[in-house]
Amino acid sequence: MNTDRDAASDNSDLTDLRLLHLADSALPIGALAHSFGLESLVAVGLLTTGNLEEFLRGWLSEAGMLEAVFCSEAFRIPKADLTRARERWAEINALLSARKLARESRQGSLTLGRNFLFTAMALAEIPLLGEIVATPERESNWRRTDAHYCLAFGIVAGMLGFDGHRTVLTFLHQSVASMISGCQRLLALGQTEAARILWNLKSLIVEAVERSAACSCDDVCSFTPLLDWGGAEHPALSTRLFIS
Amino acid sequence: MLDFKRDLRSGTTCLTDSAQEPPLRIVRPFPLEDGSVLVHLHNVSGGLLGGDHVTTSVNVGAGASLQLTTTGATRVYRAKQDGMATLQINQFTVSQNGLLEYVPDAIIPFAESRYRQETIIDMEAGGGLFWWEILAPGRSARGELFAYNCVELKADLKATGQMIAAENVRIEPKRRDISSIARLGPYCYWTTFYIVRIGLDAAFWLTAEQRLRELIASCRSSDDFWSVSMLAAHGLVVRGLTRSGANIQRNLRTIWSEAKLLLYGREAIPPRKIN
Repeated sequence: MNTDRDAASDNSDLTDLRLLHLADSALPIGALAHSFGLESLVAVGLLTTGNLEEFLRGWLSEAGMLEAVFCSEAFRIPKADLTRARERWAEINALLSARKLARESRQGSLTLGRNFLFTAMALAEIPLLGEIVATPERESNWRRTDAHYCLAFGIVAGMLGFDGHRTVLTFLHQSVASMISGCQRLLALGQTEAARILWNLKSLIVEAVERSAACSCDDVCSFTPLLDWGGAEHPALSTRLFIS
Repeated sequence: MLDFKRDLRSGTTCLTDSAQEPPLRIVRPFPLEDGSVLVHLHNVSGGLLGGDHVTTSVNVGAGASLQLTTTGATRVYRAKQDGMATLQINQFTVSQNGLLEYVPDAIIPFAESRYRQETIIDMEAGGGLFWWEILAPGRSARGELFAYNCVELKADLKATGQMIAAENVRIEPKRRDISSIARLGPYCYWTTFYIVRIGLDAAFWLTAEQRLRELIASCRSSDDFWSVSMLAAHGLVVRGLTRSGANIQRNLRTIWSEAKLLLYGREAIPPRKIN
């Protein structure tokens, strides 16, 4: 019996389970309270059960790519020395805030990111995480720091030693699953149909993550004008199920 | 390259330095009644060709006020097969308490064209910006919709060194379904309007966002989608998605006028057009 190999396998299994746990929609970070503009698109009749899968295919090759590239960049941050890691963390959060033009969607991403960091630190020992993500003016309370969800997920995964490719894959899968879950509350979308859509999109998720590996935060493109409209106009909805 | 400065004695804005090469030229600055100047960018070749590499560099000095517009739509002609794309670079700086109002006509990418535009705007404390951009689907009057190969629009807006808005868009209608709900859906025209004044706090911008949302609701037609949202700091972004280009300029001018009142206590002066 090769005990070395077993120990490595056990470690890999544990890592996989931890990654699944952090990406689980049951993680108490509030992900199910945000639609990121979908609610507005449903309200005006543009997003329907019939075109949801096609919409998500478009989302994956645009905004999904953006999230994947930034998640991947955050994953690499722990490899830098502390000073550079802190600088890069602040830079990419500011850049992503600038890329997310709709206020509620931007704030939703920041809220989820902060909640994710808080939860991850409550679950695991991640000694240097607080030092990297605390901005100088907020050092006394790092939980108020700017931390977009995809970046928080990436940096935590990097610090916990997860595999980078799997981290981005899992994050994107969770993001799509979360949107479909939101649409189950907004549309006449049954559980089996919702599961079928997510199943059908898996190869596209893999493709998006592979393509994202060739992009940087500075050159990744995203063109989602209707979703941006939905996010920006969400405050104007008279009845809202979601925060964003 | 155009440099504008504020004359301390008269309080008006003057063109103090310029270097111009075809195809872009200006005639001269026209003084406006509020002390600012209006400048028209002429494309003397009528449009942009594949392989053209055009740079517009404008510096608005401390306290100066410039309104910059075009004499007509930016026509991007068909690129040669396997030829180079058209590249337009805009570099704008707005010094302390300066104001730039950049209100060009639409970009019209012709069939088979490839266009890349990079805009970098650096603003100092107290600086103001009203900048819109209109992307047409093509020569819509002759039924040419989304027949271009590629349009890339990249924009970085910085306030005292801090990035407050960034866009990086690549539209390839022949490769990616433009009518997806994830993209333009049933709409053809896409407009973005940035409204910025450095130094005003978040509470002001929240109020301004609400005010402009009410205005937009009252002036848009049932077929158009317009939105307004607060940027990460110092400003707002207005977005428009429309089926036709008919009401875009009118709506933008209405929003511009109201936003100028909110930010500067005076109405916008729509540019006189030469054509």
